[in-house]
Amino acid sequence: MGRGWKINPIVKLGPGVSQAIGSFRADKGIQQPIRIALYFSGCCDSSLYLCVVTILETDLTLELDGLTFVINPEIYQVVGEVTISYVDEMGRKGFVLTSSKPVGEWDGCGVSDIKIQPNLYV
Amino acid sequence: MEQYKLFINGEFVDADSGKTFETIDPGTEAPIATVAQAGKADAEEAIAAARKAFDRGDWSGLTPAARAAKVQDFADQIARQGLRLAFTESMNSGQVISLAKFMPLISVTLLRNLSLAAVTKFPWEEEIPASGNAFAPGREFIRREPVGVCVGISPWNYPMYIACWKIAPALLMGNTMVLKPASYTPLTALIVAEAAKAAGIPDGVFNVIAGPGRELGEILCTHPDVDKIAFTGSTEVGREIMRMAAGTIKKVTLELGGKSATIILDDADMELAVEGALFSNFFNQGQVCSSGSRVLVSSKIHDEFLDKIIKRAESIRIGYQMDQTSHMGPLVSKQQLATVERYVKLGKEEGAELITGGKRVEVKGIKGGFYYAPTIFANVNNKMRIAQEEIFGPVLCIIKYDSDEEAIAIANDSVYGLAGGVFSTNTARAERVARGVRTGTIWINNYHIFSDYCPFGGYKQSGVGRELGLESLREYTQIKRIHVSAIADHKSNMTFKIMSDYKKVEGFSYNCPTAVIAGHGALSSIYKAVADLGCRRALILTDSGVNKAGLAQLVKDALVDFCVGIYDSISPDPDLETVDVATAVARELKADCIISVGGGSVIDTAKGVCVTLKNGGKVNDYLNFLVLTEPQTPHIVIPTTAGTGSEVTNMAVLTSKGAGRKLFIVDTRIMPNVAILDPRFTMTLPKDLTVTTAMDAMTHAIEAMMSTLANQICDGLALHAIRLINENLPLVVADGSNEKARLNMQLAATMAGWAFTIAQVGLAHGMAHTIGTLHHVPHGVACGIVLPKVMRYNVDHAADKLALVAQALGTNTAGMKEHDVALAAADAVESLMKKVGHPMRLRDVGVPEENLAICAFHAIADTAVIFNGRPVSDPNEVLQIYRQAY
Ligand SMILES: NC(=O)c1ccc[n+]([C@@H]2O[C@H](COP(=O)([O-])OP(=O)(O)OC[C@H]3O[C@@H](n4cnc5c(N)ncnc54)[C@H](O)[C@@H]3O)[C@@H](O)[C@H]2O)c1
Repeated sequence: MGRGWKINPIVKLGPGVSQAIGSFRADKGIQQPIRIALYFSGCCDSSLYLCVVTILETDLTLELDGLTFVINPEIYQVVGEVTISYVDEMGRKGFVLTSSKPVGEWDGCGVSDIKIQPNLYV
Repeated sequence: MEQYKLFINGEFVDADSGKTFETIDPGTEAPIATVAQAGKADAEEAIAAARKAFDRGDWSGLTPAARAAKVQDFADQIARQGLRLAFTESMNSGQVISLAKFMPLISVTLLRNLSLAAVTKFPWEEEIPASGNAFAPGREFIRREPVGVCVGISPWNYPMYIACWKIAPALLMGNTMVLKPASYTPLTALIVAEAAKAAGIPDGVFNVIAGPGRELGEILCTHPDVDKIAFTGSTEVGREIMRMAAGTIKKVTLELGGKSATIILDDADMELAVEGALFSNFFNQGQVCSSGSRVLVSSKIHDEFLDKIIKRAESIRIGYQMDQTSHMGPLVSKQQLATVERYVKLGKEEGAELITGGKRVEVKGIKGGFYYAPTIFANVNNKMRIAQEEIFGPVLCIIKYDSDEEAIAIANDSVYGLAGGVFSTNTARAERVARGVRTGTIWINNYHIFSDYCPFGGYKQSGVGRELGLESLREYTQIKRIHVSAIADHKSNMTFKIMSDYKKVEGFSYNCPTAVIAGHGALSSIYKAVADLGCRRALILTDSGVNKAGLAQLVKDALVDFCVGIYDSISPDPDLETVDVATAVARELKADCIISVGGGSVIDTAKGVCVTLKNGGKVNDYLNFLVLTEPQTPHIVIPTTAGTGSEVTNMAVLTSKGAGRKLFIVDTRIMPNVAILDPRFTMTLPKDLTVTTAMDAMTHAIEAMMSTLANQICDGLALHAIRLINENLPLVVADGSNEKARLNMQLAATMAGWAFTIAQVGLAHGMAHTIGTLHHVPHGVACGIVLPKVMRYNVDHAADKLALVAQALGTNTAGMKEHDVALAAADAVESLMKKVGHPMRLRDVGVPEENLAICAFHAIADTAVIFNGRPVSDPNEVLQIYRQAY
């Protein structure tokens, strides 16, 4: 299903993830796919997070549980297989992303919601 | 390959699991050492060792000086390992050797500088001379004590130095520590552990465990035996650490991300600005949380700046970090490199103009390594993600602006608030800009300057707390406030009274230091009194009535050349503005002493002036209870009414328009230095004022006796005052020039003033203050009218005292029951009032009946009511009293 690149990215979803993403999309009336993106989370560390943006020609895409995930191929090359879980415990609510090639020693420490990007750039 | 172990409880040990991990040289990607990889069991063991060591007290219980001496030994041992530390730091982190070679030195200096501060500058114990609670006297002081077990989580960009930012204050303040270095760069922290062992830091005081942040962090940040966490790293992880710490309310210091602005003003020295921007971005490959990665350049100099910085950036030598000639080494890791690359792509996609760099660099002779060229984007918009997110690499974004205000606004348009720089040849202008930027550090014409005594930390999402400086020492202590009650008796404890029906306070302190000089011709003493106070420039404060009576001039003449002026614009019931204007006059005349010649209005104004003159600002700043800790401007009083007693009291009553009522300064420090009671000064007082001011004094005396704070000294003074007023008031009413009777009235007023300074007043004053404020009834008149009614209201709570009052008022009490005698006291007050022609009813002095209810509500809230012999809490009861007085 990938565009541009001929591989399918591997994304694994933990329990409750597709429901959480589904209700987020319904709430916000969002049609676009969910992007797995990389950002610097300030001083020393980078992290993966989820956002909503338009698909680019070069993206890798994957359909899973009725949802479309996209990832930039270069990021995928760096981080490898991505696991998305959803947590809702004392004071910690949101998506946790880890990868087979962790982006840092704190990989999966933070939680995030799904960001709605103002533009395409990720 | 070298092998490093964990350092737990004074021993170098393998991980419980036996696991190890490799650490690499980012300049070659070659592994350089294996390190024991701590897991849950090791973290728990390290915490247990630190806890035990803390509780053992052989570190936490040392004197600050003894601990500092040990930390100095520790510093010596680090110095001994200097060369090894510098090489290892460089090789493991990618820091160029020309920088890394300083790391041991600046770490040693930090330990030594903070040791010195801990011993000589740190306020381990602080006295609180004025507690701010007027009801519970005692010695108040704070002790600063260690927090306990501290966890330090240090980053990979300055592995040893930033670890020392945490180690030094933690240990100096008496804490024990578990340090977790970043997994990319664990080596130098473990060498520092060797130094700690060699220095004889007791076992368990300092522990180092290397291993995965997420796994160890979860244990370190949630373990109940850990008291504090100091973390340097990403904002996202910092947020999680705060959350984890919240479970057991650990203290946290977080030094997190930044997206600082380097602001180049249009008048900046161009060469300096270029070098500054370059250094603020490419130093340590841009892997510095304080990097000034948004370079804001004035549109007036933008193009020239751009030309110069491109050339300069392109001249930076990138090379292997151990090569002495390298300006920049590698980034720390493959992931770091990938993220930086991603952001550079993003910048291009966002429309920023890549003008140099933007690519990996291969270093000649080396295969691999994470080298990246110094990269500059121009035409960056601050809304772009490359301007909002921290890149933590050598990527400089240039943003053009038109005015200083716009530069400040752009600088502040960030979730971060860590640092920043301003370049300008005009320091005043640069500082104005610096003040506008909301960050924890600003450098002017400099960048990345860290100093041991200067605190570092962030505003907004850049962190919590401060590292370095005395601030960092404070962060590793907690404050214990110790109150040692001055009164160790439950019957004298005013606060405990809240839960007791026994409201009387037994113990007391008597502190009435005003020197009283009394008698015919007492005025002459003023010349010496001023000289004794060491003053030469006395300002006379008075009011126009008193001045017209010629009394101020008498004083001026007695002062010979010690008088700098007479100021007489003081109105009755003075307000705060009156005091401020008088203070301005005193300042103008450089007065060093205030002499008040007048009634309570003048004296209280003068008290306010003395405080404001001494401490600055406006008198509104000082409407407090018992907070002054030093002698105030010297104050000599010559009272011209015999009523308020203000010449010896600790109170100034001032009208606040803002509060819509009279407010007080109550303080032992405002008691005048000298009171001169010269009967000449009251002889000009008209009859009606003589009567009403005397009733004020009478109310002071009787209310002081009925107060819950009354005591033998108060009663002695009050009773004699009552006796003197009763005997002498009719005499002065009959003949205002009866000098002996006038003097006795003055003495009575002064004694009544002392009595209520000791024991306060009560409900009659609360009620009088209210009708005074709301209906402008003169204070003495209002007091007199309500006093007998309040005496009757209090009868069951102060019958013994009122019986004494009755006797002092000359009532024949033979054969009467105490209760009846007490009521007779109220009758005696009323008959005295009638005898001397005092107003008897509120209706006669212009109080509208329909306002009595609202007066009752106000009166109940008056501070004076607190000490009334009978507890007052029902406004209806107060309304009844007002009605009786109506
Ligand atoms: N600080 C205290 O301990 C304390 C205690 C009670 C009352 N007060 C305050 O004192 C003020 C009332 O003071 P006061 O009752 O002394 O009256 P006052 O100072 O307001 O003077 C009243 C009037 O008497 C005139 N006057 C005073 N002495 C004179 C003299 N010898 N010859 C001719 N005229 C003279 C004044 O010019 C003025 O017009 C009120 O503001 C009251 O709240 C203070």
